[in-house]
Amino acid sequence: MNFPADAPFVSRPGSNLIAGALALGVHIAFVLLLVFGVSWQTRHPAPVMVDLWEALPPAPPVAARPSRPSAPAPAPAPVKAPEPVKATPAPRPVVDEPPPPKIPDIVLEKKKAEAERLQKLQAMQLVEEKARADAARAQAEAARKVQEKQLAEQKKRELLRQLEEEDLTRRMADEAVASQARQAKLAEAQAKLADAAAASKRQAEVASVVGQYRDLISAKVRGNTRLPDNLTGNPVVRCLVKLLPTGEVQSVRVTQSSGNAAYDDAVVRAIEKSSPLPLPSARDARAAFVPELTFVHRPKE
Amino acid sequence: MNPDLSQNLSLLHLVLNASVPVQLVMVLLLGASLMSWWFIFIKMFALKRALRATDRFEREFWGGGDINVMYQQVAAERGEAGEMGRIFEAGFSEFMKLRRQAGMSASFIIDGTRRAMRATYQRELDGLESHLSFLATVGSVSPYVGLFGTVWGIMIAFMGLSSVAQATLAQVAPGIAEALIATAMGLFAAIPAVVGYNRYTHDIDRLANRMESFMEEFSNILQRQTTTTKAA
Repeated sequence: MNFPADAPFVSRPGSNLIAGALALGVHIAFVLLLVFGVSWQTRHPAPVMVDLWEALPPAPPVAARPSRPSAPAPAPAPVKAPEPVKATPAPRPVVDEPPPPKIPDIVLEKKKAEAERLQKLQAMQLVEEKARADAARAQAEAARKVQEKQLAEQKKRELLRQLEEEDLTRRMADEAVASQARQAKLAEAQAKLADAAAASKRQAEVASVVGQYRDLISAKVRGNTRLPDNLTGNPVVRCLVKLLPTGEVQSVRVTQSSGNAAYDDAVVRAIEKSSPLPLPSARDARAAFVPELTFVHRPKE
Repeated sequence: MNPDLSQNLSLLHLVLNASVPVQLVMVLLLGASLMSWWFIFIKMFALKRALRATDRFEREFWGGGDINVMYQQVAAERGEAGEMGRIFEAGFSEFMKLRRQAGMSASFIIDGTRRAMRATYQRELDGLESHLSFLATVGSVSPYVGLFGTVWGIMIAFMGLSSVAQATLAQVAPGIAEALIATAMGLFAAIPAVVGYNRYTHDIDRLANRMESFMEEFSNILQRQTTTTKAA
């Protein structure tokens, strides 16, 4: 018996290819989403350098800093320098008249180089004055008077220059300050000449040695200091330290407390722990430390 | 492990630099995912077609048309008739054959008809449910396979760390990242498979209910017809 007519019908789904294509499409879409949707790049932020200042720097560095940004400004200054050169031909006939009679007055040698420098200085000062005065060239006579005055000053300075060996460029940078400093140095130099040079020199040596050893002692004590936790600010402790000639610490006494007893104790302990203190071998330098030494301690320098 | 990988973690890099077992797991999971999506779409189309054909057949059947005419139509194009149409065709052809034979009691005719319809129903249901077990398997197993790949990759990453004097995160990070891709792929394969499986089982259950109801109702109609013809 066979029943071909009774054979059951079996349905065969036909859209397999479309389904496969759709499945592939889903995966490609997901991969694209992953690749472009998720940021796989990790970017490290550039490190930032920060200078920590405990306190504001003292005034002079602040003053010095604006002058240093003007260190690029000196670049313009040389640019200006040619201008005076160009400008000098106009004042030069005026300027040159006074110097020739005065050069014979100055009997000293080496004056030719000095005179050139002087002229440069004058040119610089002229430029400054021109900047200050609006109608500088119109007031040529006024300028001449000023130049004469400056020439008079420079005569004095020539004496100074023989003594000191500072380079001229720095003076050009700030002429006014330099001139004051020169006068002060002149006075010092004259004082030195008047005094006995050897004695002052020895004093200076002793002072430098004493300063050096003071730093050494301070450093040694600082290294042994264990600062208490509750220390705030930068309090000063003064101690009177009695020393043996060998540098051994005999006794320590606080003469000026910081107000923080724990800190005072820490400093005293540090001094005792630092025994023997480094002392200079020279006797006159040693006199500053033995038998008694006033020790000043600050937690931070 | 390349140190510059920590700088440049691209998906392709991670996959290509993974260790061999992890790569195998990834390939396996990619295949499973592709297959499951394929079946999901196949089932989607098949169920949509079955639903549409069933709706159309029920509309025609209960629309008051002549049963004999319908039978001729369905028998002419069995492939287009849909599951319910084929059940109807199988039942009605069996009914006609049985009725043509003399000496058949009404209950015997109806029993034979129902058996024929049930056989077709089961065959159709089997066709509808095909591939669903694959979706169930992918949905339940692929997370574990992905987890295995991840555990393996992390093991290797830490083993590489043991030979280094200074352990840094940058030395482990690429290994862990590439290992975690295996878990991600496992979940990517599993989630649609589970959703598709649940959705399609539910749809097939509803379709099966409709077909069973139709079989009962059609049996009633045929039984009524045998008794009336016998009476006549």
